[in-house]
Amino acid sequence: MALSLTVNGQHYSLDVELDTPLLWVLRDELNLKGTKFGCGAGLCGACTVHVNGQPTRSCSTPVEYLDGAEITTIEGLSENGELHPLQKAWVAEGVPQCGYCQSGQIMTAAHLLANTPSPSRDEIVTAMSGNLCRCGTYSRIVAAVESVVDGVGHYEPEQGGA
Amino acid sequence: MTMNRRDFMKVSTAASGSLVLAVSLPGCSTIKTGFEEKTGQWSPDIWLELTTNDEIFFTLARVEMGQGTYTGLTTLVAEELDVDPARIKVKFAPVAPEYRNPLFGLQLTGGSTSVASSWKPLREAGASARQMLVMAAARVWKVDAADCTTQDGRVVHPNGIDSLRYGQLVELADKEVIRGDVALKPRSEWKYIGRKGGRLDTEAKVTGKAGYGIDVELPGMVYAVMTRCPRYGGKATGFNRSDVMAWPGVLDAFITERGVAVVADRYWRARKAQEALNVEWDFAEAIDLDNDQVFEGYREAANEDAGAQERSDGDFDDAVENASRVVEAEYEQPYLDHAAMEPMNATAWYRDGAMEVWAPTQAPDLARIAAARHSSLSPSNVTVHSTFLGGGFGRRLTQDYVEEVAIVAYKVKKPVKLIWSREEDVRHGFWRPAMLHRMKASFKDSELTGWDHQIVGPQILDWYVRNAAPAQYPWAPQFLYSTLGRVGLMAEGVATPKDISAIEGAIGYPYQVENVSVRHTHTDPGVPITWWRSVGYSHNGFAVETFMDELAHEAGEDPLLFRRKLLANEPRHRAVLDRAAERAGWGTPLAEGRARGIALFKSFGTYVAQVVEASIENGEIKVHKVTCSVDCGQVVNPRVVEDQISGGILFGLSAALFGEISFKNGEVQQSNFHDSRVLRTHEVPEVLVDIVDSDIEPTGVGEPGVPPVIPALGNALFALTGKRQRKLPLTAG
Repeated sequence: MALSLTVNGQHYSLDVELDTPLLWVLRDELNLKGTKFGCGAGLCGACTVHVNGQPTRSCSTPVEYLDGAEITTIEGLSENGELHPLQKAWVAEGVPQCGYCQSGQIMTAAHLLANTPSPSRDEIVTAMSGNLCRCGTYSRIVAAVESVVDGVGHYEPEQGGA
Repeated sequence: MTMNRRDFMKVSTAASGSLVLAVSLPGCSTIKTGFEEKTGQWSPDIWLELTTNDEIFFTLARVEMGQGTYTGLTTLVAEELDVDPARIKVKFAPVAPEYRNPLFGLQLTGGSTSVASSWKPLREAGASARQMLVMAAARVWKVDAADCTTQDGRVVHPNGIDSLRYGQLVELADKEVIRGDVALKPRSEWKYIGRKGGRLDTEAKVTGKAGYGIDVELPGMVYAVMTRCPRYGGKATGFNRSDVMAWPGVLDAFITERGVAVVADRYWRARKAQEALNVEWDFAEAIDLDNDQVFEGYREAANEDAGAQERSDGDFDDAVENASRVVEAEYEQPYLDHAAMEPMNATAWYRDGAMEVWAPTQAPDLARIAAARHSSLSPSNVTVHSTFLGGGFGRRLTQDYVEEVAIVAYKVKKPVKLIWSREEDVRHGFWRPAMLHRMKASFKDSELTGWDHQIVGPQILDWYVRNAAPAQYPWAPQFLYSTLGRVGLMAEGVATPKDISAIEGAIGYPYQVENVSVRHTHTDPGVPITWWRSVGYSHNGFAVETFMDELAHEAGEDPLLFRRKLLANEPRHRAVLDRAAERAGWGTPLAEGRARGIALFKSFGTYVAQVVEASIENGEIKVHKVTCSVDCGQVVNPRVVEDQISGGILFGLSAALFGEISFKNGEVQQSNFHDSRVLRTHEVPEVLVDIVDSDIEPTGVGEPGVPPVIPALGNALFALTGKRQRKLPLTAG
C-alpha cells in the first residue's frame, strides 16, 4: 500500500507493508543508515528520530500510523551543510566512543533543546535517561548538551561527571 | 635466525607511484610485499601509503570498537611522519599475516594490547618514511639530509625557506635506502603524542555517516534471520517449511548447523515469517542446566580436584599449620553478557567460487575460518572487510555470527545480511564465564602469612580453539575439536598460547605475603563462553580485592593501610593506591548514610586504584562517586585514556549492580534491556580519572578500568552495612 512520508524535507511515496517499523523503512528503503537498530523494543533509544517534532522510537513504530508524517533523522539535523550546534558540541566534547548510540542520543537532545532552551542538569539527565550508551559516554553527553545551553567551552573531566 | 631492523623493512613502489612502506611485526613467519604470483594473493604488507597528491593513508590493523585505535594508532605514525593526524586517511586492514597482533599470533583486537603492540613498529614506520622523504629532498637540493627538517608534510631546506611537499618527493623517496636505525623523536619533541587531540572518527559518528557492519549495503542484497535452539547445543531436525515460504517476500528457508534460516527480500518480512516457524529440535547434545547446578558442579569439582598449581611461593600448608587464625570465604560470580549496542550481524556474498564477508569483528582472520567452515571453500577463498564496530567488549572475538551468514550466503548465492534481534543477542551469546573462588588466608598474630586462591571454572581458549577446528577437519567428532583446533591453527601459522583466562590477575597477586598459592580447578559446564572486557581480571579482581578487604577487617586495620604496608616492593601499585585515596579524601568524614570502599588491581600491565562512595537509598544501591588513579605508562592521548577508564568503570558498575545471565533447564532467562540491564545516565556517578605522568612504555586502557570498581563498590557496601557480599550482582538488602 502506498505510504506518504516527508523525511528530512524530502517527500516519498513508498510501497511497504504497513506493519513495518519506521526504522527499517528509513534504513533499507531510503538508505538512511544513520538511525540505528539496538533493541527493537523501544528500550535503548538508538533508533530515535523526530516524527512531527516528537522524539520517537522508530524500531517500534509501524509506519501505518505515519502516513503524511514529517520525519527528521540524524542525516537531516544539520542544515545547509552546517553541523547542528549539538553535533558541533559532540565533536568539541569528544563524546563518541563506538558511536553506535550517538545518533539517537543527539536526536533526543535536539528535541529537548527545541522545547526547553535552557534545561537544568537534572532536566538534561532526565531527558537523556532513555538512551543507553554501553561505552559509558554519559558524562560527556550531558556536558555537550550543557555546553550548547551555556554557549560555552569545553568539558573539563577534572571537574567531574554527570 | 636473527634479523636486524633493516631486514624487517621492505620498500617497494606501488603502481600508482606511491611510496609504500612496510614494517614487519615480530612473530610473522614470512615477510612478503606486493603481489604473490604463486598463490595469486596480494599481501598488502602496508602501514602507510603516500601519494603524489599529498594524500596519506594509514592501514589500521586493530579494529575501532570505541576504544580509540582509529585515533591512537594514527597518532603514533603521524607523530614520526611529522604530519597532523587529522590529515591522515584511515583504511581498515584486510586479513594478512603481517597484520596479526604479535602478542597473540592472530589478527585480533583485544586484551588491551593495541597501543602497546603498535608503540614501536608504527612509530618506526612513520620515522622511516619521513627519513626517506628527507633523504630524497636532500639529494634534490644537494645538501646533507641531517641538515633538513620537516614540518607538517613538507621537508624544509637547511636555509629554512625552501621546502618540498611529501607528495613531490614520494617517487624519489622510494629509491632511498636507509642504512642503520632510524632515530625516533625524543619525548620533548612530540607534537601529537600525549596531547588531548580530538578523535579522528568523531564527525562521522555524530552525523550518522560512520559505517558499521549493520550498515553494509550491496546490490540485490537479501536479508536473513536465524532461529537458534533455545538450549545451546540442540539441532534443528525439521520445520514447517511450506508455511514459512508462503509469507510475502520469503525467498528460502532451510535448516543449518546453527538453526533454521529464513531469507527474504526485506528484513521485516524475514522477521514476520520467522514468527510462523515451528521447529522440531533434537536436544540430545543440548545443555539442560539451572544456574544453581552450575555452582553445585563447581563446588563438587573444587572438592574433588585441588586444581593445577599456577603459583606457589613458600608453603601455604605450613603457614596454616603455624597460623594463629585462618580465614576462609567463597565467592560466586555469574555468567555475564556483553550487550554491545550494535546487535550481532554480518553480510556475505558468495560468487565465482569465493566468499566476501563484511563484518564488525574483532578477529577478521578467524572470521575467514568461520566463513569457510560449512562450505567447500578454504579460508584463503574468503575475503573479510572490516567495518566500525558498535561495541565489541570481547563478544566479537567469537565468530558464530559470521559463520551463520556464510552458511546462508553459500546456499543462496546472493549478497545477504543476517541481523540478530536483541533478544537473540541476549539469549544466544557467548558469555563471560560464571566462576567460583575459594579463598583462604592465614595470620600469625597480626601478620598475613598465607594466601590461597582456588579458582573454579572453565577456560576460554577451549571454546575458541574448538571453534577453529571444523574448518580444517569437518569429519572430526566434537570431542577432538580441542586438539584439532590447535593443529588447525598451527597449520595457519598460529601457535595457541597457554590459556590464562581463568587465572589472569590471580597469579599476579601483588601483596607481599610469604606463602602464596594460586590454583585452578578446571571444570566446564558446557555453557558457551568467550572473552569479556577484562575477563579473568574481572572475576579475580572481585575475589582478590574483596577478600583483601575481609582480611583487613579481620586484622582490625584500615583497608587502605592494610594493603599499603604489603606493597613496599610495588611502587606503581602503591602510587596509584595513594593517589586515589588522597583524591577521594579517604578517611575524611562523609555525608550521613554514605561509605567508601577501596580496591586496587593491575590488569593488562596497567595499574588502577579506585575509591567508590556509595549509599543505599529507597532500597537501592546508589553510587555517588568513583575516584580512580591509573598508571598506564606513556599516555598517547589523555582524552582517550580518561574515556576508556571511565567507560570501564561504568561497564564494571553495570556488572556489579545488574549483570547476570541465568539459566533454567538450559534456557537463558533474560531477553532484552529491561531484564538484562545496563547503567543509564541518571545512575551514573561522578567519575574522576587521575592519570600518572610516566615515560615508561605504554600499556592498555580499554579494560583495566573494569576490575577494581566491582570490589570497591562491594567493599563500600560492607562499610555501610556491615554485611559482606560474596555473590554478584550486589544487592541492597
